[in-house]
Amino acid sequence: MARSMRTCLHSGRLALLAILVSGGIVLQILACALYNNWWPMLTVLMYLILPMPLIFFLGSNSPSMMSNDGDTWVNFTKFLTGASIVGSIAIPSILKHAGVIGWGALTMELSSFLVFGVAILWLIQMNSEDEYSSAF
Amino acid sequence: MENLALLWGIIGPGVAGAVFGAGWWFWVDAVVCSSVQVSFLHYLPGIFASLAALMFNAVNKDEIGYDYYSPYGDDSEWRVKLWLFVAYVVSFVCLAGSVGMLVQDALTDKGPSVWTGVAGVLQCVLVLISGLIYWTCHSED
Repeated sequence: MARSMRTCLHSGRLALLAILVSGGIVLQILACALYNNWWPMLTVLMYLILPMPLIFFLGSNSPSMMSNDGDTWVNFTKFLTGASIVGSIAIPSILKHAGVIGWGALTMELSSFLVFGVAILWLIQMNSEDEYSSAF
Repeated sequence: MENLALLWGIIGPGVAGAVFGAGWWFWVDAVVCSSVQVSFLHYLPGIFASLAALMFNAVNKDEIGYDYYSPYGDDSEWRVKLWLFVAYVVSFVCLAGSVGMLVQDALTDKGPSVWTGVAGVLQCVLVLISGLIYWTCHSED
């Protein structure tokens, strides 16, 4: 594939990724605004913790996250990510169970979480692809 | 089989975090949805279970090998083993305590509901399992 074609595709993918993330944010805010109930914004706390290993370790040498290094801090940030994934599913469910929000808000919250998850996974995949292609 | 071990090393801590979070969020749900005030006594098994999970992960696995030479002298193995023993005792007492509270909640109508007791047991079990999972991850090297 020609070089210009590849960069065009790359920036196209980045743009799509940005659209996904903003879609997730829109869903999250809609879940609160449509029902005039701002409790689901608590989930934002979990979304802040979720990309922590990415922020800290994706910039530095990527293999440290995808490999078996066993560095204590990498393990701890993965622990936090796992806990925040469960937390962002758990907070809307607890709010629904306690009767604070309704079914519509719950589904919007969960779909916002799914959209963020897809965006982060795609970002990781794009990053590992970049490594392979830049090695040539 | 080799691939599985590698994969486990990568996502293991995340799974441990997820299980730990699940345990605590079940408890939060029970406290929020409970119609009566949940007394502090009911919080204790979960708190001590988390402490126990932290304790037996703080052990450096090399220290319980047979030819470990420590700066404290040749026979300091017993300190590590005592630490682990205390962690195990605390975790079993928590399990027993949470099961006891479940039975107590199921028998009376005036105290917290059955769901509080069940969530307490779930919390204890999941937190301890999460500690175990995290332990298996960093001993994979």
